[in-house]
Amino acid sequence: MIFAPTELTPAEERLRRDVREFLAAELPPDFRPGLGLGGRHDPEFSRKLAAHGWVGMAIPTEYGGGGATPVERFVVVEELLAAGAPILAHWVAERQTAPTLLAFGTQEQREWFLPRIAAGECWFSLGMSEPDAGSDLASVRTAATKVDGGWLVNGTKIWTSAAHLNHFFVVLCRTSPAEDRHHGLSQLIVDLHAPGLKVSPIHYLDGGHHFNEVVFDDVFVPDDRVLGEVGAGWHQVTSELAYERSGPDRYLSVFGLLKAFVTEFGESFDDAQRAAVGRASAKLWTIRQLSLAVARSLERGAAPAVEAALVKDIGTLYEQEVVEVLRHVAGQEIDPGGARMFERLLAEAVQTAPAFTLRGGTTEVLRSIAAKGLTGARR
Amino acid sequence: MSRGDTELVAEAVGELLRGRCTQETVAAAERTGWAPELWAGLAEGGFPWISVPEERGGVGGTVAEACAVLEQVGRYAAPLPVAETGLLAGWMSASAGLDVPAGPVTTAPTARSVDAPATVTVQRTSSGWAASGRAARVPWAREASRVVLLADSPDGLQVISLDPATAHIEPGVNLAGEPRDTVHLDDVAVDAVAEAPAGVDHDALLLRGALSRAALIAGAAGRVLDITVTYTNERRQFGRPVARFQAVAAHLVKLAEQTEAVRMAARVAAANGGTASGPWFLDVAAAKTVASEAAGLVAAAAHQATGAMGMTREYELGQLTRRLWSWREEYGGELLWSTRLGAALADAGADALWPAIARGAVA
Repeated sequence: MIFAPTELTPAEERLRRDVREFLAAELPPDFRPGLGLGGRHDPEFSRKLAAHGWVGMAIPTEYGGGGATPVERFVVVEELLAAGAPILAHWVAERQTAPTLLAFGTQEQREWFLPRIAAGECWFSLGMSEPDAGSDLASVRTAATKVDGGWLVNGTKIWTSAAHLNHFFVVLCRTSPAEDRHHGLSQLIVDLHAPGLKVSPIHYLDGGHHFNEVVFDDVFVPDDRVLGEVGAGWHQVTSELAYERSGPDRYLSVFGLLKAFVTEFGESFDDAQRAAVGRASAKLWTIRQLSLAVARSLERGAAPAVEAALVKDIGTLYEQEVVEVLRHVAGQEIDPGGARMFERLLAEAVQTAPAFTLRGGTTEVLRSIAAKGLTGARR
Repeated sequence: MSRGDTELVAEAVGELLRGRCTQETVAAAERTGWAPELWAGLAEGGFPWISVPEERGGVGGTVAEACAVLEQVGRYAAPLPVAETGLLAGWMSASAGLDVPAGPVTTAPTARSVDAPATVTVQRTSSGWAASGRAARVPWAREASRVVLLADSPDGLQVISLDPATAHIEPGVNLAGEPRDTVHLDDVAVDAVAEAPAGVDHDALLLRGALSRAALIAGAAGRVLDITVTYTNERRQFGRPVARFQAVAAHLVKLAEQTEAVRMAARVAAANGGTASGPWFLDVAAAKTVASEAAGLVAAAAHQATGAMGMTREYELGQLTRRLWSWREEYGGELLWSTRLGAALADAGADALWPAIARGAVA
């Protein structure tokens, strides 16, 4: 395990202070923080953030990024998430697509996409899940057939977050017959406004619209939008998942709820409420440092896949636990239209919390990755 | 923090304990109440006195190094008052200007907070000082060369150091068979008394004690993880190692998560141990909250994964889990610390909450 305590450098602390000052100026006093999936899609905010150099920080400067370290990005991201800032527009593009492009994209793709991502102006979704392919991604059926100058894509993707708002998505699809589960897959960059593509909402259980179904009907994708090698999609997508795993988005989804509880009830807390807040804060303090340790080790070039899986598992379970514990000690009926921020956020949190341990790899999938690492490393 | 030194200390004491603190050593000490040869080995290396200044009889070093030693003490279930001798009683004595004697020294809280009266008082007599009262759950009081306690006096809080032979010691144990004695003081003459200086009071002792238990728990949890992973990979049922069953593997992952969490919490709190008083409290309160809760989860997951073998005296797991079940309550369990932490965070206000949490290890 690489979990070694690490402290922030003075430069990293200055960066944190700058982000706090920015957020204090940008977010109104009555701002409703985004919880987890609910961080708002706000192009204006993404552009302002980008103007400070805080989008695409880890993208090298030659592609318009900040050339920052994983820990510098960690500091900025945790400040944004702790504030529940509206970062959804650029979030997937900067967290996931940019590193994938850097690892596997062509020079031309990097030069075209990366500066736009870093400017907060090019937004991506993920096209992985399908009706018959959830945790078992190798069983995707969306198929691309080779035609002159490109590929014709047919099939259906589901749970595609913000496909109705974003510009592109990276689609995992089959480019050779299904007999070869892993080697017949490729990744394509698909324009979400391409002819033949139909995006329709899948409403979340609380009625919200984040997810979409995306149906391909002979959608043409030119050859220069193949991401990486044809047939290497499985390898690419499994390494890409690691970027998703252990960051601050895996334990800060409900920090806004915790803070609102202290804001609105802190002065009249009973001991059970004090204990609940103390416990939630103690665990957050600890998990944050595990996550920071992973970021620091990435900075040194390590590939801590097992540690990342552990952090995501412990972090997302923590998020769900906080919702339950605060509900328990608040001890009131939940009114989604209530006057107070805490009860409105609690209404949202109760209904979205089950997703915390599903997205980015379910608890069960993560535990099997972690278990293999644990037993393998010690044999 | 100088991580290099901390790691060197941990390696040195770990090597010593690996060879000398066997399962049989621990079992024997549970029967007799003492492990004299093991103590002699640790004392020879100076390990119990790390973090106590040399000019007061210690060997110098940092709180982080002392906690690195305690992690190894926990890992090998070493049945000795190492935390008491240096980090706790040693610290109180040295801070008050009293010399730290040779041999094992012990202490225990005499009140749960600065606002509560101590259960021990000390008064001037014609020939010196005399103490009365009772200190409960004092580790290895029967074997200690000195007992150091905080005592109320008409002149304010005092650090007193006494010879346990002058007191009535009522034997007791914790769940792991480690001595936790009651020291009865009935107008006992005390030869070493000094005013408790600023920074030495009931709250400060409770905080240091909690840090020491978090470090011990981190060490024991680490060993529980290692032996449980090994055991479940060797033990075969239905034709394969039980670790290959997903349901068993899930226990191992939970065990690993809790172990890494408590190690991180204890190490950061220890690393920040030399800094000023405010952050100290938050770090230690968080670390002990996490450690006390993790202790139970670690023990439960390990026992479930290990099956009936883990429930026997002959297998090592029980030596460790009985300690986890004891140390989690010592110097305050998760309820006490989470309540205090929550109160402090609520008092500081919602806007200070995130900055407090995001303040981890400090350089």
